[in-house]
Amino acid sequence: MTRREAAVAPRESATGAIYDLGYRGYDGPRLGRRAAVGTLFWASLRAAFGLGRSGRSKVVPWGLTAIMIVPAAVAGAIQAVAPGGLSPFNYDNYLWDLQPILALFVAAQAPELVSSDQRNRVLSLYFSHALARSDYALAKFGAMAAALFIVALAPLLVLLSASILASPDVPGAAGDQLGNLPQIVGAPLVYALPLAALGMAIASFTPRRAYATGAIIAVFLVTAAVGGILSEAGRGRLSLVAPLINPFVLLDGTRDWLLGNSIPDSPVSHADLDLWVFGTLTAALTLIGIVAVLWRYRRISA
Amino acid sequence: MPLISTSSLTKRYGSSVTALDGLTLNVEPGIIGLVGANGAGKSTLLKILLGLLKPTSGSATVMEMDVATRGPEIRQYVGYLPEHDCLPPDVSATEFVSHMGRMAGLPPAAARERTAEVLRHVGLYEERYRPIGGYSTGMKQRVKLAQAIVHDPKLLLLDEPTNGLDPAGRDEMLDLVHRTGAEFGIATVVASHLLGEIERVCTFLLAIDAGKLLQSAPIASFVERTGTLGVEVEEGADALAERLAMAGLTARVDGRSVLVDCPDERPYDIVRDVIDEMGLSLTRLEQRRHRLEDLFRAEGRADDAA
Repeated sequence: MTRREAAVAPRESATGAIYDLGYRGYDGPRLGRRAAVGTLFWASLRAAFGLGRSGRSKVVPWGLTAIMIVPAAVAGAIQAVAPGGLSPFNYDNYLWDLQPILALFVAAQAPELVSSDQRNRVLSLYFSHALARSDYALAKFGAMAAALFIVALAPLLVLLSASILASPDVPGAAGDQLGNLPQIVGAPLVYALPLAALGMAIASFTPRRAYATGAIIAVFLVTAAVGGILSEAGRGRLSLVAPLINPFVLLDGTRDWLLGNSIPDSPVSHADLDLWVFGTLTAALTLIGIVAVLWRYRRISA
Repeated sequence: MPLISTSSLTKRYGSSVTALDGLTLNVEPGIIGLVGANGAGKSTLLKILLGLLKPTSGSATVMEMDVATRGPEIRQYVGYLPEHDCLPPDVSATEFVSHMGRMAGLPPAAARERTAEVLRHVGLYEERYRPIGGYSTGMKQRVKLAQAIVHDPKLLLLDEPTNGLDPAGRDEMLDLVHRTGAEFGIATVVASHLLGEIERVCTFLLAIDAGKLLQSAPIASFVERTGTLGVEVEEGADALAERLAMAGLTARVDGRSVLVDCPDERPYDIVRDVIDEMGLSLTRLEQRRHRLEDLFRAEGRADDAA
């Protein structure tokens, strides 16, 4: 094979002479599959927040992230003005109280990550690189989970810094808060992984973004409504399983099981169920979601 | 070393549609034209070579690597331009091509550098920072070509690279394909249903029809055989054909033109003299290359007869 080094020839243009250096080959390293997966993960995580895209695609993710943080910031500010006052939020109930925002984030951004590649048929380009179909699925799931983790972690970090800074003894307060680290990191993880699996499982099945968003919202609304009705009206066995229908109740139960501290306004505290039931069902939901995404990308034509 | 070789490659979709039917071929590096009507199996063959599709039976190797077992390895050294749209509208060409470069294994700095280089090569300048959604079809085709060569592939698979382009855009695209293949020495397979395009840029022809290999030979061998002279006159084409036949040439009328077979130099002088003698007004005299298409017509007729 010959690679011609073209003669350097100036070409006139509006901006002056352009020197055509010709085409050059590439003899440097080729990083292979793992680097490709990493690239896809980071690019997808950026896409989840609209980074590198138009202002319009930043509105929803940043708006929801801001709404997620505002209550924590307000509670922190009140604490600073009137120290010792009782804050409505703590690390245990915050994500439970703001669950609609997390649901909206999944509904809006999971389709952003997967629908567009299907609709615009970018998938055939991805699959024509050194990337397996399962790599694509897992990188996208990972990016969605990471984005949710960031959105859920941010307000808890605000709560944390507020309670440290509002204290008269900052180093002491920082030391006291160290014990809360498992909750601060654990609760966002417990929420992020299952929600990402559920959202991606639904979103990956349609190239139509609006359908995917609608379907995810519908799942959250219907499960919440059915779970609520059953626990109000149901007697006996039905009311026993009612708390297991709403995914967010499962998440709170799992958080309670792993990290402790039940919260009074969650159905988990009134449910006549062992906490491990919530944990097991959450794990099953997450696994089923991931398997569904993998299955979808094994079958999809590109 | 054979670039591509397949052995009784068969691909069926469902039970009724056969896209490839026992295709066996061997291709050496060069610019290879893969020609066939729509639905002849061109795209299916390219997708099998990439490992995007699994053949129903038979085997294929690319650069002596088996597509069934070494797909990821092959794909590192192959660039692919799909027939259909494949670009996200909301990112810029720079961002997209560099992302694809990194997907192909380039380190970040190299991906940026080569993106700038290949976008310049395909002729995208200031507009490369704008979102792709606002590009013309011609510009999108250039971005598709750029993403296929950003990682300096050893083999380039182009599926209908002039799809949807106007005549000027076609010319530019074909020129780009030719430069990429001939000057830079990247082995290239161009799939097209337009023989004229294949003739212009390729050195080797693979003709497939209904999933079967029809012809596999250097383009030059067709051009030799296709020496047909087209003589276009204002009027009197029939009389001219008659006179030429009397002069011992094989001539037939095709609209306002008379097509004369030219196995050697001799007919040129005869045509000139006859037209002068008859006092006809000559509007055009050109080398026709219709025989490449006749290849398919002849095959079609044989099928009809059978």
